[in-house]
Amino acid sequence: MSTLDYRKVSRASRWLDVRRRKLGMWAYALNRITGIGLVVYLYLHLVVLSLLLRGQAAWDFFVTVARSPYVLALDVILLAGILIHGLNGLRIAMTGFGIGVGAQKALFVAVMVVSAVTLWVATIKIFRI
Amino acid sequence: MNMVKVPLQIFRYKPGQAPRYDTFMVEIPDTSHVIDAIDTVWAIHDRSLAFRRACHHSSCGSCAIRINGVEKLPCVTRVTDVWGGHDPLRLEPLRNFPVVSDLVVDVTGLFQRMSAADMSMICEAEAFLPFTVDTFAVAGLDPKLVELPENFSRFSRFEKCIECGICVSACPTMAADEKFLGPAGLAAIHQARKKSNDPVKVEHLLGLADGEHGVWRCHSAFECTEACPQAVDPAGKIMALRRELIARRFSKMMGK
Repeated sequence: MSTLDYRKVSRASRWLDVRRRKLGMWAYALNRITGIGLVVYLYLHLVVLSLLLRGQAAWDFFVTVARSPYVLALDVILLAGILIHGLNGLRIAMTGFGIGVGAQKALFVAVMVVSAVTLWVATIKIFRI
Repeated sequence: MNMVKVPLQIFRYKPGQAPRYDTFMVEIPDTSHVIDAIDTVWAIHDRSLAFRRACHHSSCGSCAIRINGVEKLPCVTRVTDVWGGHDPLRLEPLRNFPVVSDLVVDVTGLFQRMSAADMSMICEAEAFLPFTVDTFAVAGLDPKLVELPENFSRFSRFEKCIECGICVSACPTMAADEKFLGPAGLAAIHQARKKSNDPVKVEHLLGLADGEHGVWRCHSAFECTEACPQAVDPAGKIMALRRELIARRFSKMMGK
């Protein structure tokens, strides 16, 4: 029987398709986006640290760049990723142990509220440095 | 009863041809269900449209499709509940199954997964068709004494689940792991495990659940539970299996 079977890459692209989906799927997609973002950041972080090998001048130049508002805005995005991925990870671990399965949506809302409040406070502090 | 004109955008695929979408304008009563609209397309516009339907009351699960991207049973979904009144109503086959033709998918994989948990699609009553268990009871006979055909064992139906495949279509993990037992398969394992006190069978079932393509593949999107038209709660069952597996591991670690 000849059937239409989509390729794995095409099927995996649906991971981020949250249209008309419920909160659990939004949490799923957010965890993937933030996870990929954090992996990219990890490599960027290693590249930045490697500047130390080029001496003090190179590092001082990076510190100057890092204090610009644009880079500070990137820090806020990074923090948002860490908060959402970390707290949502706790939610997934809890439900994975069978704890709070029925309240998974409420837990996700709590994750987002705590993330938003923490991010708000942290953003003010970051830009006041 | 008022008549409404509804544009339907239907996924089309025939072996050897490229997939496409065809749009049909159907005039149906405003109380119609989506399956009535599909029937109208088939009856009036295009006899080559392939789709499944049988019971018309959310009992057989055969008509499951995606309506505007979301898995639903068109036999119990009113057109007015899903059609915004402007854009065409988009009808597509279930995801994560090979498409046989138009809205028809090959659900063999789903049934194979259910069978892995000894959850056959045939319930005991159906084994005696055209007589039901009740018929035997009325006649004062014990159906258990009736000899079944060769290679035909007694099965009990997986309560609630209508084997529609909606949970498999809604599950994002199924898209990446073709061997994943999936929400229906794992819920069936949970059900079989609940019913069994036989240590050998319990070990077998938990071994399946604990395998490479078992419960640990689930990434907790909970879409299966959201989409299930029968409130089977496959995600809840998967988490319950995880809990039991973790408890058993702890017990082993403690030497119990």
